[in-house]
Amino acid sequence: MSDLDKAIAQLRACRPIPEAQVRELCHKARELLIEEGNVVTVTAPVTICGDIHGQFHDLMELFRVGGDVPDTNYLFMGDFVDRGFYSLESFLLLLCLKVRYPDRMTLIRGNHESRQITTVYGFYDECLRKYGSANVWRYCCDVFDYLALGAIVLGASNNLSPSSVGEPSSSESQSASEEEIEIEVCNADGAIMSQFPRQVRSSNSINTRPPRGGSSPNGASEAAMAAANTNGIGSESGSGGGVGAPGNTGPPGSGASGSSGGSVGNPAGAVLCVHGGLSPLIDMVDKIRLLDRKQEVPHEGAMCDLLWSDPDEIDGWGLSPRGAGFLFGADIVKVFNHRNDLSLIARAHQLVMEGFKEMFDASIVTVWSAPNYCYRCGNVAALLELSEDDGGLGIFSRSNGDVNRSDGGMPGGNLIGGGQGRGVVMESDLAEPKSGPARRYRVFQAAPQDSRGMPAKKPVADYFL
Amino acid sequence: MMAQPVPHQAAEKKRVKVYELRNNDWFDRGTGFCIAAFVQIEEGQPKEPRVIVESEDQPDRLLLETKIVKDDGFQKQQDTLIVWTDNGVDMALSFQEAEGCALIWKFIDGVQQTFQSVIGGPDDGLSDDIAIDMSPAIQLPSADLAALSELESNIRIMGSTANGRNALAKAIMADNYISRLIPLVEMAEDLESLDDLHRLCNIMKNILMLNDTSIIEHAVSDDCVLGVVGALEYDPDFPSHKANHRQWLNSQGRYKEVVRIEEEHIRRKIHQTYRLQYLKDVVLARILDDPTFSVLNSLIFFNQVEIVQHLQENDGFVNDLFSIFADPAEEQLRKKEAVLFIQQCCAIAKNLQPPQRQDLYNNFLSHGLLQVINFGLRNFDVTVRVGATDILVSMIDHDPGMIRHTIYRQIQEKQPPLTDTLIDLLLVEVDLGIKSQISDALKVLLDPTPPGGPPEARGEFVGQPRGRPQPTMDPQQELFLTNFYEHSAARLFKPLLDLEKRPDLNFNVLNDGIFGYLNDILCFYIRSHQHRSKFFVLTHNIAQRFNRLLSCKEKHLQLVAIRFFRQLVVLQDEFYIKHIAEKQILGPVLDVLLRTMPRDNLLSSACLDLFTLISKDNHKDLIKHLVENYREKVMALSYIDIFREILHRYDQSLGFNASVEPYFLEDEEEVGRRPAHPSGRGGMMEHLSIDPAQEEYWNTSDDEDENHARAPDHNSSTNGSTTSKPLVEYNSDEEADDNADAAMAPGSSSLQDEHSKENQAPTTSNISATTPPPERLSEKRRREEDEDDALEKLVHHKRRNSSSSVSSVGSTNSAASLRKKKGFSGNRDSSPTGGPKKIAISISSIKAAPVKSPQPVAGEDTT
Repeated sequence: MSDLDKAIAQLRACRPIPEAQVRELCHKARELLIEEGNVVTVTAPVTICGDIHGQFHDLMELFRVGGDVPDTNYLFMGDFVDRGFYSLESFLLLLCLKVRYPDRMTLIRGNHESRQITTVYGFYDECLRKYGSANVWRYCCDVFDYLALGAIVLGASNNLSPSSVGEPSSSESQSASEEEIEIEVCNADGAIMSQFPRQVRSSNSINTRPPRGGSSPNGASEAAMAAANTNGIGSESGSGGGVGAPGNTGPPGSGASGSSGGSVGNPAGAVLCVHGGLSPLIDMVDKIRLLDRKQEVPHEGAMCDLLWSDPDEIDGWGLSPRGAGFLFGADIVKVFNHRNDLSLIARAHQLVMEGFKEMFDASIVTVWSAPNYCYRCGNVAALLELSEDDGGLGIFSRSNGDVNRSDGGMPGGNLIGGGQGRGVVMESDLAEPKSGPARRYRVFQAAPQDSRGMPAKKPVADYFL
Repeated sequence: MMAQPVPHQAAEKKRVKVYELRNNDWFDRGTGFCIAAFVQIEEGQPKEPRVIVESEDQPDRLLLETKIVKDDGFQKQQDTLIVWTDNGVDMALSFQEAEGCALIWKFIDGVQQTFQSVIGGPDDGLSDDIAIDMSPAIQLPSADLAALSELESNIRIMGSTANGRNALAKAIMADNYISRLIPLVEMAEDLESLDDLHRLCNIMKNILMLNDTSIIEHAVSDDCVLGVVGALEYDPDFPSHKANHRQWLNSQGRYKEVVRIEEEHIRRKIHQTYRLQYLKDVVLARILDDPTFSVLNSLIFFNQVEIVQHLQENDGFVNDLFSIFADPAEEQLRKKEAVLFIQQCCAIAKNLQPPQRQDLYNNFLSHGLLQVINFGLRNFDVTVRVGATDILVSMIDHDPGMIRHTIYRQIQEKQPPLTDTLIDLLLVEVDLGIKSQISDALKVLLDPTPPGGPPEARGEFVGQPRGRPQPTMDPQQELFLTNFYEHSAARLFKPLLDLEKRPDLNFNVLNDGIFGYLNDILCFYIRSHQHRSKFFVLTHNIAQRFNRLLSCKEKHLQLVAIRFFRQLVVLQDEFYIKHIAEKQILGPVLDVLLRTMPRDNLLSSACLDLFTLISKDNHKDLIKHLVENYREKVMALSYIDIFREILHRYDQSLGFNASVEPYFLEDEEEVGRRPAHPSGRGGMMEHLSIDPAQEEYWNTSDDEDENHARAPDHNSSTNGSTTSKPLVEYNSDEEADDNADAAMAPGSSSLQDEHSKENQAPTTSNISATTPPPERLSEKRRREEDEDDALEKLVHHKRRNSSSSVSSVGSTNSAASLRKKKGFSGNRDSSPTGGPKKIAISISSIKAAPVKSPQPVAGEDTT
């Protein structure tokens, strides 16, 4: 057993590793991360996770539900630390796994991976308590600076692969087998709670905006609630309860229908993963690659926006109530996705009671992976699984992962003046959003309380005053 | 977690018939058992008071579930009847017994009376069911095991209303009820009655969460504390676990007494404060709600203030404390503990009011605090070094002038100044924390900004020179700086200078971090020391040294070098631009890029960032230099936009004098756009107008390298009008924002800055009128609202957060955190636009090209 494996085993037991080992780990991680671009290219299959926030036991539950590393490829979209009481163990475990299985783990940076934020929201204090000095916090913060800012998932399939974890409930999958399933929601045991077929729609069938606020409680939340609801008030318990038969509802959260532009079996476009959202300064994914990311998260600018922004039901850009980043509307997302040949943006950053929430005709999804956030919010968490395309249909015809992909074939595509060719977005283009990859959400709840000790901070050992 | 089960104890159910008025006839909906309780209906929502009737025959079926709303008109009629209107339907409950009716009514009545406070009040996160056996008055049942279940429900019910909580708190204190509960813990333990222990835990939690200061103080008193935490060891949420709070708090030797504290009450206060922290961090950590959290925090805060105030006013005590260091015979251990004691005092002092803090430091300084720091910094024990560094940093944090003054005196007295100690330590220290704190300290101590003046811009954005008169430097500071550059600078940057002689570039993982720190420090000096740092960079050929790093194999060290060059470019200072060209720096950077380029990694991004900066800011000299000297390399890279752009710009500017004008215009645009630059970090542009100090310096300094040395002045007078002039004028908002951002702490914006803001206002508006929307990024700062993670929240939290040392935050923005800053508030006040504003930004207009400006397809999702 290598030292690294030992460290992994120790961390899995929620015991911190010694400071010297942390230092070594961080150096290794740095060498590894320095080789990653600002936008990492990841190929499906991959399981995308949102905020963790130091909820170590729930992270273990996440691995149980989503499959263990290295059997499952993971992409974590930041916010590993703060709030929960085990930021240290959670982050170090993820980092160990990254170093141990570099190609199977992708970690990108969240707004909490920052010196300023961690001093306020708990990670700094936690390190101080657990090691008696802030050194480990400093090592970790150094690693934060090297984390990638985003990821692009390529090669995701339009069809769901059979669920690898748990047994799908047979009746549901039978009834849906005739249609192509675009979205499937499973509970923690792998039982299907609801499915949504890909819908073929005529060109003018989506002229209504998703109703604002009408998206919650949405299909997903009902399903999740129903599954979680065991006290018998008004609903049957058990798997598959809740939302009606496939076809009744659109994708959860969208309030509208799926979007395939009418052609079933198109290659799925790429999926951009980023912690917060878009930036007015970034119109092309490639512009993210031009940032010198090795720095504390700045208070404005593109890097800040990517980690801080939120989608909202507005037109264009709006000021963010968070004091950093922006709010951006459906139009922004659609133009961005079109321009960059993306079918979906996956992001985290906002608590969603149902664990995930698709917005803007399923052009963007929020994934949240910290169940019962802060040990009291009562929310469920979710993972997003994108499966590998094996039929050859989903093989990406585009080069999202390569540098300069976005100006391919663009004459004079320099930064000034040349962008017009792409900048003009035809209405007809927008009519047919990229066909989204098939998505399986696994919804799970906080780890059973008995499985862990009582969560608490480590007390200060000695005192003079 | 979702809807909680309603209590099922048979005793609490009241047999009842449910009626509904249909067509003027009372329709019997069935017979069942009635409960009234707070029920969680939706996640995240406050619990709702409900009346529920379960069917007698089929317990799973609900005959009735109604929410108690304020104006439902609940009425009690006769002894056994409750009537009300549910969504327009008249309903009635007919009870079998008057007693049952009375209990349900009591609940309904209580809810309606305190409706507002219940709904608006915090969800205390406790267990959910409210039993209905509410005793008529605040008469707590006698404290014995048999009555626990009754007590538990009583406390829950009363805890659900504001009035109830008040009454409960009073009753508990009046009856000394906590003390009466404590013996029950051991009793239940002896009986191994887990149920009772769980009940006791719930009761104790509820009592503490009443948020009553006197109760909490009582709970942590010597008499009570063990019993209280003992009860809390048996958490029903973790039935298979038992905490060991008593063992922890009871273990001797956690309290270290370096110097005997004579006053009994102070000693008691110290212990109590520790217990409060333990309650906050461990015992109640998981269930703490905001009100209880702040009650605990403020109790801790006031105790600490009182303790520190008391100790520092006690002359005998302070004398004894510092005499530990004077005695050579004293054991190392005691000295160590004394350092740690002072460290803790200083940590607490951060929360004191500034005058009191000043008193404390003055008092300590007069007793020889500096010798203590000196002793600590040179100690072999890393904990002591950490402690001493912490003490030093907290004093610098308070008032760097205080320390500078001391150093000045040391220089006058020909003693080795404190800075030298710091430098020595920085170079040999292995502890990362000490290293980074010292690195920060070296920046702040050498910050030439006069006290009270605006701190040197955190070096964030390009093109924001200080639009204020050059501050005349304090002669003390002047001397200090001169001394530093004469004697210490070369020592500090020795590892960098040694690179020249180094045959190999194999670094030890343990100490190669030093280059990062040195780069940080140097960049800061370059931004703030102007001619002195220029001279230093020039004479020591610093750029070449960094260049050497580019050829080592460690990528993070290559990054350090690129970072330094970026700083030089960002400054937009003719001197450094020339320097870059002369030292042929960009060639090796191009090589790095060529080496890396097929791959997309951090190194290539950093290089591209640098060249984007050169291209975007249109550094004509650098573009010319690049293309003329490295045309082949640039061509080889021209498949990348930026390099095509650079070639393009070069071609444009060649031989077309007419194009000067458009470029000039573009410059202005660029200037305006700069704050929105994707990675807008880096330095502050030193403004190029003639600075008397600089002039004098160059006039009087020796003639070594005269040609180079005079370059900046020369350029600034002739060339300054093209690039630098508009820059100088564009100031105000962004700078202020920027400072505030980096600072993240409240404070008052200085007069000088206000002044400059006023001056600059017209200019700013001009510029913003001609530039596209992204510039208004800064407006987002002014938004009043705040949410969860909002940055502005930091401001408050930092204040509250006593122990986390703000000053030790990080290295990137570190200098910022060490000094006094302006807060958001200052900016907000000065900004006329308070409310949220929407910004309409067309994506494609981000670059200068006049792409269509209206929203591409805003709001058109019809197709």
